[in-house]
Amino acid sequence: MTMLRAEGVTLGYGRTPVVHDVTLDLTDGGVGLIGESGSGKTTLARAFLGLLTPTSGNIWYGQQTLKKADMRAFRRDVQPVFQAEALDPRMRVGASIAEALPRSARYRVPELLDQVGLSPDLATRRPHQLSGGQRQRVVIARALAVGPRLLILDEPTSALDVTVQARILDLLAGLDTEHLLITHNLAVVGRLCRTSHVLFAGRVVESGPTADILARPAHPYTLALRDAVPKLGGEPPVARGRTEARPAETGCAFRLRCPLAAPECATAPALKEVEGRQVACHRAEDVLG
Amino acid sequence: MIEVRDLQVRYGERVVASVPELDVHAGECVAIVGESGSGKSTTLLALLGLTEGAHVSGNIRVCGVEVLQAPERRLREIRGARVALVMQSPQAALSPTTRLGTLMRRALKLHGRGEQAAQRGTVQGDGRGKVRRIMVEAVEAVMLDPGILRRYPHEISGGQAQRFAIALAIALGAEVILADEPTSALDVTVQAEVVGVLRRLRAERGLALLLVSHDLALVSTIADRVLVMKDGAVVESGPAGEVLAEPSHPYTRELLEALP
Amino acid sequence: MTQTRVAEEPVRLRRTLPKITDRFAAAGAVLIVLVLLATILAPWLAPYPVDRLAPVDALLPPSGAHWFGTDKVGRDVLTRVLYGGRTSLTIAVAVLAMSAAVGVTLGVVAGYAGGWVRDTIMRVTDVFLAFPALLLSLALAVVLQPSVTTAIVAIAATWWPWYARLSASVAASISTRGYVDAARCLGVPAPMIVLRHVLPNSLTPVLVQISLDAGGVILTAAALSYLGLGAQEPTAEWGLMVEQGQTLFTTNWWVVTFPGLAILVTAFAFNVLGEGLRNALDPRRVVK
Repeated sequence: MTMLRAEGVTLGYGRTPVVHDVTLDLTDGGVGLIGESGSGKTTLARAFLGLLTPTSGNIWYGQQTLKKADMRAFRRDVQPVFQAEALDPRMRVGASIAEALPRSARYRVPELLDQVGLSPDLATRRPHQLSGGQRQRVVIARALAVGPRLLILDEPTSALDVTVQARILDLLAGLDTEHLLITHNLAVVGRLCRTSHVLFAGRVVESGPTADILARPAHPYTLALRDAVPKLGGEPPVARGRTEARPAETGCAFRLRCPLAAPECATAPALKEVEGRQVACHRAEDVLG
Repeated sequence: MIEVRDLQVRYGERVVASVPELDVHAGECVAIVGESGSGKSTTLLALLGLTEGAHVSGNIRVCGVEVLQAPERRLREIRGARVALVMQSPQAALSPTTRLGTLMRRALKLHGRGEQAAQRGTVQGDGRGKVRRIMVEAVEAVMLDPGILRRYPHEISGGQAQRFAIALAIALGAEVILADEPTSALDVTVQAEVVGVLRRLRAERGLALLLVSHDLALVSTIADRVLVMKDGAVVESGPAGEVLAEPSHPYTRELLEALP
Repeated sequence: MTQTRVAEEPVRLRRTLPKITDRFAAAGAVLIVLVLLATILAPWLAPYPVDRLAPVDALLPPSGAHWFGTDKVGRDVLTRVLYGGRTSLTIAVAVLAMSAAVGVTLGVVAGYAGGWVRDTIMRVTDVFLAFPALLLSLALAVVLQPSVTTAIVAIAATWWPWYARLSASVAASISTRGYVDAARCLGVPAPMIVLRHVLPNSLTPVLVQISLDAGGVILTAAALSYLGLGAQEPTAEWGLMVEQGQTLFTTNWWVVTFPGLAILVTAFAFNVLGEGLRNALDPRRVVK
């Protein structure tokens, strides 16, 4: 079942859009949104949370667009787990969690802390007195307090040490919520998401089953992302194309960085079906080899 | 290039880093691996005598200078010029109102690099032109466009800033680069670029590289030798291949298993 | 450990500065308490009645009988400085409280709401900023009687826009923080978000600015008094005393110097307190 769906969504803060005409279903089994900083992934996440209204297109929540939907129900269903400054530095973390609860349910704070593997004693601490991993658990506890069905995770682990990151991922994988995971780290997506979408310069360039995308990328950008991830004992990471090149204004946005760029890339490629996935690349067949 | 014996860094009674042995030769890459609070960054700072307010004991030799005995003046000569420190977010260390080129020129002047190069005759031309050539060459060595010298720090990306920091080190004639999580704030594709630059410099110029990182996968692809630190102590060390293929310490195994 | 260390210098500074400023802050607070006590206890501390005129004793230099000397009409300067503090501090406190209340409220709302709400509030703010304090006071003085109250209202009317601007920009930046978004996603009503998250986290720079401004308010009040729009003779007020005494500076320095010093010391004490507040209000410094 699809709880949230973006349909032709374009988003921007000023006049220039950051996200262009994105259509995307948050299907069951975990959805990954992969891209570098500046790809528009966080902006898209804010739109899914109803924090940002699309300049065109709609976010559908069930049968309703977010504009018309029952926001109380929506807020109970969809919760964010952000990374940066997700906790008010002045508030004790217990109070932060309590904010998510009705007054009569405040007694549940210790139980929620326990659920995310924290000692209830930590409720009286302030965020700066906790470690990065503990803070992230508090953020998750607060999100869980309203009993959401979908968590929107924006780089939930990228500032954490690997062992801490692994435990947070375990915690997230064990929850009975659906999730949209936003990250630049392909390895993390593999663990949590059945489906993935790769975003470049505000456009979806490849979508499909995560396993297929990681095993055989069909878009040169996905390939670049995958090969840049260092593998234990493997070859050094490969830099494919120079990352400084700005996204192209016309045609395929990736073409100035693309090692496979050809003359036809001057026209923008449409999403097309190739080997069980959607790809926006004229040369997808060549990438797949 | 770097020779450390029985290094111990203490704040009061608390030992924050204890390293019995650490050598880095020219053209070699050694990595210190560990998590926050393991003492890996402290170790790096101790090599440059930058651990303010700490008790440091043992022997530290960097580029032939006994760091613990040397007067501050001698240390300042190696810092920056012969040994460069590259940090996680170099942008914070760049003055926002100064063009990168101006900044680099000032750094060169401070360390008298222009004159040195002129005397050695390694670079042709005279005065400003010579300095200019050193700068352009350094920037190109890290695969940046020389046009970047006209930019201000806020106009460049994190990856460019990191490579500029490395270019600065090269322009100053650094022989050793100490890098503290140089890529952990960067996108993977950008990280791959920075790592590529470091590897090339090491191969072409025989730079010694001491890398502090929490990313075992990254370390495994570039380091010759690895030191694993936990709670201020070295729990395991040896050639990268051996340590990572057959870790003998449970903590190293834990780190490896945690990789996604 | 992985925290960025820019260079040696900043690290050292960061470690030693808080300690020093904390001591300064304590000194500032002590000074302010002393000034307050002195003015509150003026009737008991003052050696002479505040309005005792003694033309025979006019312009006596400081001596055992008159520690701070006497003014043109033979009034004891020490007595007038003690009583003058009551007026000056009342003006300062009243102006700052009023401007902060209005300015911060509007500013925080503007900063959080953004869009047309912010634009409207900021335009109004700009209109007020466009009037010089003195001009607005002149206008007010025409409508109302020149008095301390008029001065307070006039200064506050030109002072609050600065706090509105400052708090609007701080609040706008606070409003983009993750915890504000998180609260919005929890369905916390906007007024609650502003009160609970935006306001407390925006206050620090405003509080610091307020304490830094105290001296300026006293001086502005002095200027108004000089133009006959603020405190009136025979009310004792520091600004008024400075203005009246300044022509005598070369011949009878004490008439202007002691009230001037009183302003200086008070302004300094508030500044130091402001610095201290900045540190004390940093949440990272709340009981480790």
